[in-house]
Formats: sequence, structure tokens, C-alpha cells
Amino acid sequence: MMDLTQKQWVSHVVFHPFEGFEDLRWKKGGSLKIAFLIVFLLFLSMLASARLTGFQFVATYDKTFNIIPYLVQSIVVFAVWVVGNWAISTWLDGEGSMRNICIYSAYALIPYVAQQFICVILSHILIRDESVFISAVYIIGMLWSGILLFMAIKTVHQYSFLKTVGAILLTLAAMLAILFLLVLLLSLFQQVYVFIYSIYTEIAYRVKV
Amino acid sequence: MNKRLRKFCTAALTGVLLAGALPLGAFADEPYDVYNYDRWGEAIPSQAGYIAERSVSGEDLGISHFANPSDIFRDYQNQFYVCDKGNNRIVVVDTEWTRVLNVLEKFTLPDGSVTTLKNPTGVFVSPENKLVYIADTENSRVLISDTEGNVKMEITKPESEVYDQDLTFLPQKVLVDKACNVYVVLNNTTSGACVFDPKGNFTGFYGANRVEQSAEVAARYFWSAIATDEMRDKMKASVPSGFSNFDLDAEGFIFTSTESSTQQTDRVKKVNPAGYNLFADYEVYWGDSNSLWYSGTTYATRIVDIDISDDGMINCLDLTTGRVFQYDEECNLLFILGTTGDQVGGFKQVSALETLDTNIYVLDAGKNTVTIFGETSFGSIVHEATNLYNAGYYEEALEPWQEVLKRDGNYRRAYIGIASAMLKKGDYAESMKYAKLADSPYRYNEAFEGYRSEFLKKYFNIIIIGALVLIIGGYGFYRWRKKKRTQEAAGKEGDAQ
Repeated sequence: MMDLTQKQWVSHVVFHPFEGFEDLRWKKGGSLKIAFLIVFLLFLSMLASARLTGFQFVATYDKTFNIIPYLVQSIVVFAVWVVGNWAISTWLDGEGSMRNICIYSAYALIPYVAQQFICVILSHILIRDESVFISAVYIIGMLWSGILLFMAIKTVHQYSFLKTVGAILLTLAAMLAILFLLVLLLSLFQQVYVFIYSIYTEIAYRVKV
Repeated sequence: MNKRLRKFCTAALTGVLLAGALPLGAFADEPYDVYNYDRWGEAIPSQAGYIAERSVSGEDLGISHFANPSDIFRDYQNQFYVCDKGNNRIVVVDTEWTRVLNVLEKFTLPDGSVTTLKNPTGVFVSPENKLVYIADTENSRVLISDTEGNVKMEITKPESEVYDQDLTFLPQKVLVDKACNVYVVLNNTTSGACVFDPKGNFTGFYGANRVEQSAEVAARYFWSAIATDEMRDKMKASVPSGFSNFDLDAEGFIFTSTESSTQQTDRVKKVNPAGYNLFADYEVYWGDSNSLWYSGTTYATRIVDIDISDDGMINCLDLTTGRVFQYDEECNLLFILGTTGDQVGGFKQVSALETLDTNIYVLDAGKNTVTIFGETSFGSIVHEATNLYNAGYYEEALEPWQEVLKRDGNYRRAYIGIASAMLKKGDYAESMKYAKLADSPYRYNEAFEGYRSEFLKKYFNIIIIGALVLIIGGYGFYRWRKKKRTQEAAGKEGDAQ
């Protein structure tokens, strides 16, 4: 039973929200490559929904464009989620390894990513009066991914329902802390860089004179 | 000096003289960068719709210099009344601004005694009863006289319970509606304009501004909800800024302007007879957005005067930058003109503006002059197109809009106008193109709706056939794969056995 290929595992997990992850865990399925591909697709879907949505729905400001926010919103946030959840789970007796957390969470994002792409396509076919269809797709995708993500965390750590809720809330808090420290670190490094650079300029000037 | 050198010198000198004589002044340039705002509220270079033609001082008109003039008004005969505050007089000037028709300095009261003005700041002439209304500020009265200076009536501080008797009565601006009710703007109340009936009886206040929704107001609302009565008494009340000037349009609506540089709410209002602001739901930023594209310093707009021209354009005068902002009747920004400076077209301290046909007259209390702006050919095309467009003649407005685009490819209203015209014509693809250029998703949506239904009508058969083929083909493929798989599985099982 359940001798599925890696590709088949993906659809099995997505279409069986409540047992899919248990099966995946039991059979030790899941591929890190596919997980990374999904996160990359998440990044692309965010770009698409920001830049390629039909003009009748949103006028895109295209005088300047900066890709960093989209990178942060997708890949960085996902990485921080994985690290934060792993940190919390080690503290809360979770059974998941970081590899599994990454794989399960990424698989759970599939409906969300699909929803983004479908909405972008629909936005070129529909007019404003029919935007309710886009909202419907959006809500379905969000709920589906939400349930999948919850089940993924519950399964990967073998938690009870309430413990999962607590773990997710704590993970969100941990993510905030990590992001804050990251920003702090970046600004500190920048200052160090500026300091070293000014010393270099000073010495270069003295040597010249 | 040898002959050749002399010849050369003569030639050079002639050349220099000729160059100097060339009509370099034939094209006048504005002493400022002309700009407009795009859809994102960012300033972009634009073409001038108006150009300063000349400035007129009191000396030019053959009388003594104006001193700190405070108001200007055009009456029903197109004569101009300048309220010359420092000289305590009202100067009546002809339409062309070439000569003075009358100077009102001394007024005869009904009992025969003579009275003078003291720092008057507002003047209005009613087309209904042909009387001159003067806000005689320091004398705490509104003087109503005929054009010869015979006083018909005086309006003084109302003795009403509605009017707080501790307040002074210093009329700033005055206006008379078609029913001859007198509206007086005071500088010490935020309840709106004082209204007097044709007989001079105080009837109430009119058209107060709303309080701006700010964090401070919200916080005050929260605290007052939980405070005790004693605490509540000590708290500051949330009051709006009172409006500082107003004007009447051709239909009899009163437009008010508020000078406050911080309050955005109700900065410019169109007030109906019930006192309701018809512009309340418009999302318009009156005046400059905070940062200017070429200066880097922040200046906040202070609208000191407003004037509605005969074709419904709203002109607002900004004291901070000396600019006039012209909007059409739907509150779309058309042109920005004027600046601070010494050249013609630059101002020291603007105080009032007036319009006549295509001209704009700006009164400068610092330079003591009136500057006359004339419409450029670009301006006249934009006005023609705007008037046609706002009246609903989209297709007729198409040609002028295209002409506008030829001269200024940044002019957003033109793209909107062409998109609307194309939509009306049924040229949906073109309409979509121009709506996109205008950054207007709303118009793009309308055009796209038409485009899509046309597309569906045209390719209905192909789409249906394509969909059927896809469904049947997909189902067939699914069946075939399933069959193959079961066969493979059976084969495998067979092998295993």
C-alpha cells in the first residue's frame, strides 16, 4: 500500500488534508527538491499577482520596481517560519526534523500558490463586477492552505490539536523576534562596514599626502 | 586704424546691434516651472495654460498707488472693484484695466452725514439690486451703498442670542445671494458665515466646516467617553477651522475656501442651500501635495481666495506659493500658474483673485498690483475639451483632446477623454489602450467589458468547439491512462506470481 512516487505524494497530500501528512510521515515520503521548487513558485506567484494582475483591477505603479520586498515576503518569510517552528518544536518536544518541517510546510502552500496564479489568470478574463469569483478562489485557496499548514505542523511534530495552536502562535512570535534580530544585525553590519570604509579612506588619504 | 580692421569692427558692431534688435521678447516665458500632478500625485512637467500678460499698479491707472489691497470683485457690467485697504477706498476700474471709473472714498449716510471706511477687506456688488456691499472691518460694519456712495443700509453686530456677545464683529468678506441675503465671513468664529436677510436682520450661521478626522480627535473622543464631567470641561473641544473666503457661481452655489494649512477636510467646499458640502465625498487634494518636485522644502498650501469663472472652473489662490490652482467643475486639476517672485507672474503676497472670460486677475498686497493672466492656446484647447467632456460630448471632445496630447504628452485628462470618446464610438481596443495610458483601471474595465463581449461573439463557435474537444479529449486520455495502468499493474502482479 501507498507506494507512491514523489510526484504522486504531492497530490496525495494536497487532496487528503486530514490523513495525507500522516501517510507521508509513515512512508517517510517527501522531497526537499520539490519543497524548494514550491517556495520558488510562491515567490513567482507573488511577483505575478503584483505585476501581472489585469489592469481593470489594479493600476500598477511602474515608475520604479524593487524585487527585494517580494523576496522577503516569500522566501525569507518561509525560511524564518521553518527555523522559528523548528526552534519552538525542540522546546515543545516536537518530533519533526528541520528537513521535514520544511517539506511539509512547503507542500501545504500549494493551494495558496495555485490560487495566486489562478487569480492572476482570472483577472485578465473577468471584469470588476465579476470580481466575486476571484474572491472565492482566493478564500478557498487561503482556507485550504491554512488547514494543510495546520495539519502539517500537527503531523510533523505529532502534537495534539491545542498544542499545535500554541506552537503556531509561538512560532509567529519567534518569527517576529528572528526578523527583528535580522534587521538589527544588518544595520550593525552596515555600520561596521561604514566604519572600516572610513578608516580605509582616511589611510588612503594620508598615504597619498 | 587700417581699413580692413575698421570694416571688421563695423560689421561686428552691426551684428551685435541687429542681434539686440531681434524680437527676443516675442515669446514670453513663465518665470517658473510649469507642472501638473499625475495619477500618483507626483508632480510632472506640463505646458502652461495661462501666461502673465501685464501687471497694473495704481500709478498705471492714474491714481495713487494701491496700499495693501485686499479684495477684487468683477460686477455684472464687467467692471472691477478693488478694495484698497490701506487707502480706505474702493476703486472701480474698467474692463480693460486702462482707466479708473470711480473712486469710492466718502459715503453719505441716509441722514446726510459723511462717513469713511477703515481698513475694508471685502467688496461685493449684487447684480440683483445693483448695490455695493463693503466689509468695513475696523468699523465693525457692512456698508451697503449705491455706486455713487449713498449708503442704503449698515449691518452691524447682531444682537441675537445665537451670536456670542463677547465676540467682536469684524467682517472680512461679504457675499450676496440671488435672494439678496447677505453672507459675512468673520475671522473669529468657526460656525460658518453670518447670514443676514435683505432687511439686515441676523438669521443664523451658514456652511460650517467639518472637524478633520485626525488621531488627536479620535483620542479626544476616546478620553471624553471615559472622563468625568469635570475633566471633560477642561478638555479642548474639537473645532474645525473657519473658512476664510467664498464665491458665488453662476447657478447660485456658494463655494468656500479655508486658509488653514493643516486642515485638509473641507478646504474647498461647494455648499448647497441646506449647508451641505457637495464636494464632501470627492477625493481631491486641494493645492499642492506636500513635497514639490524641484524644491525639496515642504510648503503647505493656504488657500486665501477662491473664484468660480463663468464656465464653472474653480480657481484657488495659494498664499504660500503664490500659485493659482485651476480645477474644472468636477474638481480635476487643470492648471497651476503663478509663483513667488519679482517678475510679472510672480507675487509677494497674494490676497485675492477674479476671473473674466479667459483671464485671471490676481491681486498682490505686497507689490500693490493686479496681474492679468491670459489664456494660452494650449489653455484654450484644454478648456474647450474639458467643457465638452464635462457636458457629456465625449466624441466631440476627441479632437481637442488629441490636440492637447500633441502639445503635452503628460496631460492625463486627455488620455481619459480619448478613452471615453473611443468607448462611446465602440472602439474598445483603442479605448483600452488610452485608459491604460491614463492609469485608469475604472475606464479600462468599461472598455474591456465591451471588448470581451465582442470577442466572445466573434469567436463563440471556436471557443465552444475547442472546449468540447478539450473535455472529450481529456476524458479519453484519462480513460486510456487508467486502462494502461491497470494493465501494467496486472502484468506486474503476474510477474510476481
